[in-house]
Amino acid sequence: MMTDFRPTILAFCCNWCSYAGADLAGVSRLQMPPNVHVIRVMCSASVKPEYVLKALSQGVDGVLVLGCHIGDCHYMTGNHRTAKRIPLVQRILKETGIDEKRLKLDWVSAAEGEKFQKVITDFVQDVQKLGPNPLREVRF
Amino acid sequence: MARIGVFVCHCGHNIAATVNVEEVVEFAKTLPDVVVAEHNLYSCSEEGLGAIRKSIEKSGLDRVVVAACTPRTHEPLFRKTVELAGINKYLFEFVNIREHVSWIHAKEPKSATEKAKMLVAMGVAKAALLEPQKEGESSVIPTAVVIGGGLAGLTAAASLVAQNIDTHLIEREARLGGNLADIEVVAPEFRKGKELLDEMKKELKVSPKTHLHLSSEVTEVKGFVGNFEVTIDKAGKAEKIPAGAIIVATGAKEWTPKDEYGYGTVPGVITQMDLEKRLAKGERPKRVVFIQCVGSRQPGREYCSRVCCNTSLKNALRVLDASPDATVSIMHRDIMSSGTASEHMYRRASERGVRFMRYGLDRPAKVSRTQSGTVVEVFDETLDEEIDVEADLVVLATPMVAQDDSRDVGKLLKVPLDKFGFFLEAHVKLRPVEFATDGVFVCGAARWPSSVSECISQGMAAAAKAAIPIRKGKVVIEAITAQSDPDKCAACGNCVIACPYEAIEIVESEGKRYAKVNEAQCKGCGTCVAACPNDAMQQRGFTTRQLGAMIDALVKNAMGET
Amino acid sequence: MARVAFDERGADHLLLMREEHGNVAPALISKGEDVGDVRLDIPYQLITILETVYSCVPKGKIAVITRRCDEKALAELTKRGYVDEERMIKIGLACSREQIAMCRCSDPVPSKVDFGEPNKPVPTDELSERLSKMSPDARLQFWVKQFRKCNKCFACTHNCPVCFCDDCVLEERTFVPEQGIPPGLSFHMIRSYHLIDKCIECGECERSCPAEIPLLTLRKMLARDMKEIHGFVPGDPKTVSPLNTTLEGEPMEEECDEC
Repeated sequence: MMTDFRPTILAFCCNWCSYAGADLAGVSRLQMPPNVHVIRVMCSASVKPEYVLKALSQGVDGVLVLGCHIGDCHYMTGNHRTAKRIPLVQRILKETGIDEKRLKLDWVSAAEGEKFQKVITDFVQDVQKLGPNPLREVRF
Repeated sequence: MARIGVFVCHCGHNIAATVNVEEVVEFAKTLPDVVVAEHNLYSCSEEGLGAIRKSIEKSGLDRVVVAACTPRTHEPLFRKTVELAGINKYLFEFVNIREHVSWIHAKEPKSATEKAKMLVAMGVAKAALLEPQKEGESSVIPTAVVIGGGLAGLTAAASLVAQNIDTHLIEREARLGGNLADIEVVAPEFRKGKELLDEMKKELKVSPKTHLHLSSEVTEVKGFVGNFEVTIDKAGKAEKIPAGAIIVATGAKEWTPKDEYGYGTVPGVITQMDLEKRLAKGERPKRVVFIQCVGSRQPGREYCSRVCCNTSLKNALRVLDASPDATVSIMHRDIMSSGTASEHMYRRASERGVRFMRYGLDRPAKVSRTQSGTVVEVFDETLDEEIDVEADLVVLATPMVAQDDSRDVGKLLKVPLDKFGFFLEAHVKLRPVEFATDGVFVCGAARWPSSVSECISQGMAAAAKAAIPIRKGKVVIEAITAQSDPDKCAACGNCVIACPYEAIEIVESEGKRYAKVNEAQCKGCGTCVAACPNDAMQQRGFTTRQLGAMIDALVKNAMGET
Repeated sequence: MARVAFDERGADHLLLMREEHGNVAPALISKGEDVGDVRLDIPYQLITILETVYSCVPKGKIAVITRRCDEKALAELTKRGYVDEERMIKIGLACSREQIAMCRCSDPVPSKVDFGEPNKPVPTDELSERLSKMSPDARLQFWVKQFRKCNKCFACTHNCPVCFCDDCVLEERTFVPEQGIPPGLSFHMIRSYHLIDKCIECGECERSCPAEIPLLTLRKMLARDMKEIHGFVPGDPKTVSPLNTTLEGEPMEEECDEC
C-alpha cells in the first residue's frame, strides 16, 4: 500500500441534495481529506456515464456520483435513472479490468452534512488502498 | 478567445485563514483565457462588487469567475453585478472554495490551496465555454384550481376569491369540509367546527369568482406553470379547466388500526374520530381511557402526528363537561401540547382529575374483556407499577396518514412525496407551501399532519403564493433548460422516456425527425442529456463540452497530463 | 426464395445476400426482378443495410432474411420508430452449426424458421469464461493489449445494426481525448455503455474488425451483467431499456428504497 499516494478524485454533486449536503458539512466545519473535487450539476441523473468513463480512462483515481435519496429527488424520478446506470458503468469497468470500486454512487440529502463527510473520508481511504489508477501509466 | 476575470475572495478570515489566496490568484493568471486575476476581502460587499465591475470595464472582460462561498447563496447577486457591468448574467461562474475547501481542510493549508487552484482551473475551463443566455417568458392564465375542499382548501379558495381571482374548488365528496365536518368542537379554544367551515363557505358563496365542483375528481393534469389544463370527472362527465396555478389541499385521513389494543374484537375500543361522532350524538361515557401514539412514533411510522394529544385533551375535557364525575385516563408516551393555549388545556385536564400515565413503546398496554367489562392493563413508567383501568370506552389516538391515493395525485401533478406518502415541499424553511414544480402549491394535512390553525395559515400562505404568478401575468424561465440539436439528433426516443416531466417529444420537420424540448415545461434537470447517446441534447449552462473541459482541467492540473 | 418472399408473403422488395459475378454482397431486389444466386450461408447483418436503404424505399413491404440476431436487431429499430413494423416481412433463417460456433451464439433460432435447420446454441463463450477468471490486472492487460491494435476505422460501428447515430459521439474530443490512434479506453468503454441496452450479440463488430479484437466477447460479458442487474435482454419489441425509465416495477426497486 502506497501511504504517500494522494488520489485525485472527482465528485458529481446535485444542486439540491448532495451539493447542499456538502455545503452543510462545510458550514459545520466537518473536516475531510482534500482529494475530492466537486462538479456541480442540477441532478445526478444528468451525469453522463461518458463523463465517468472519460475521467477514469484519463487516469482520475476515483469518481463519486452523489444524488438525492430515492424518493426525494428534486426532479421526482431523475435519480432513478442514476441508480440504474451507475451499476452498469461499474460492470464495464470490471469487465475491462479496472476496479469497480473506483466508482461509487451514494445518496446524500441536503441535511446530511455528516454523511457527506463520511462518504468522502471513506471513499478517499478506499481509493488510496486501491493505489493509483493503472491507466495513469498506460498511454495510448 | 474569451477574456476571463478571476476574483478570489478572502471572505475575511473564512477563506484566507486556510487558503493562500494570493497564491491562487497567481495561479489563475497562468490559466488559458484569463486576462485578469484579483483578490477581494469580501467580494459580496459593495466594495468587492464595485471592484469587480471596475475590473470588467478596465480590462474588457467578457466572463467572470468568482472563487468564494457557495453559489447557492450569492449566485443571483453576482449575476446581477456582472449584468450591470454589461455582461450577460449567464457568463458568470462561481467556484466554491469556502464550504468546499477552507472550512473542511482547515488543518491542511497547503493541500487546501492546491485544491482551490484545481477548482479555479475547472471553473475557468467551464467559463471559457459559457454562452450568453436569454431567459424565456411565458404568460399566465388568471385562474387557480384548488384540489380538496377541507379546511385548508376552503381557506385557500376563500383567500383567492377575496383577491378577485377565478378559483375552481374541486372536492371529491358530495359535501365540503373534509375531516373537520365530522368534528364538532376544535381545540384549544373549543370553537364549533361547523362555524369555522360556515365562515369559509360564506366567503366563497358570495363571490362570483368561486366555481365549486363537488363529487368531482381530478383525472389528468397537463401543462406547466401559468398554463395548466386540469381535467376533472364529474359523475362520468369530463371537464377541462385551464389554470395558472394549482393548490393541493387533499388532506389526510385517520389511520384505522388493524387489531391493536383489541380494536375490532374487544367492545368499546374505538378511534378518536369514532369518539367525536359519539360525543356529538350526546353520548356521556363515564369511564374513558385514551391511548396515545397508537401506530405512530414507532418503527415504520416514526413521526408524531401533531394533533392527537391536543385532541385527546380536548375530548377528555368534553367528557368531564358532560359528566363531571367521569374517570378519564390518558396513557401516553409524551404529551405534545406546545404553545400557550394547549399547555393550558393540559393543566386544566390535570387539575380536573385526568390521570396521565406514561407507558413505554416496549411495553404497550393490554386491552381485554373480562367479567366486569373492558380492562386496560398498563405499566406506568412514572409509578413503576402495573395498573389496571376499567373502561367503557378505550379511545385509540391514531395518527393522520396520507390519503390512499396521494401517490396517484403526486403522479398526476408530477410532484414528489416523502416515504410516508405526504407531499414534499420545495424547501421546509424557505419554501414551505410550494412544490419544486413551479405553479403548484400545497397546504394542510396533505403536507404533514396539521392542526386547524395550521391548516388555515397554510391555506392563506398557499393562496398568497399562488396569486403571485397570476398577478404578475407572466413567469420567467431560468435559462438552464435543455435543447436538442436537430442535425445531430437521431430521434432514438431515449430523452422522451427519460424526461420526468414528459417535456420532450419527437417532431418532424422537412423530412427529419428529431427531439424537441418544451422550454416552458423543462425544469432543467438534465436527465435527457445523460440519456442522449450522441451528444445532440445539451443543457444550457451545463453542456457536455463545458463539463468535459472541467474534467480535462482537473486531469491536466492535478496530474500534469493532457 | 422469390416464391416465398413475393408470392407467399406479399413482399414488394427483398433484402438478402447474393452472389453476382463471383462477388457476394447485399442486394435489394424488387418484385419481378431476378433474385439471382441467393447466398444464405454468408453471415452479414442485413439490418445494418436496411437502415441505409429504408429511406430509399418509401412504400411497399420489404422482406428480409432474418436470423435470430437480425430479428432482434429489427426489434430494436422498430421500437425506436426507425422502421415501420407493418412494412417488414421476416423470412426466418436458422444458422448452421459452424456459424453458431463462430458467434458462440446462445440464441440461434428465429421465431419462425423458413430456411435452414435449427441447431443447438453454444452454452458459453470460452474467452468470456477465461477473462472472468483472470485477476483484474491480467484482464486489464489483456484488453489494453487488444485495444492498442485499434486504429479507429469505425468498422464496428458502421456494421453494427443497432448503432444508429449519424454523428458518433466517439469522434468528439470531449469524450475521446486521444487525438491520434489508437484511441484510449474511453472509446471502447463508452461504446460498451451505449450498446449495453441494445446489443443483440450478432458478432458483426468482431467479424469486421481488421485488428481482430474480440469485441463480441466483451459484448457478451456485459450482456450477462445487464441481464443480472436489470433482468433486461435486448431484442424484444415489447420491452423498453431500463436506463431511461423509473424504478417502478423493476428488480432494483426494493433495494433502492432501502437506502
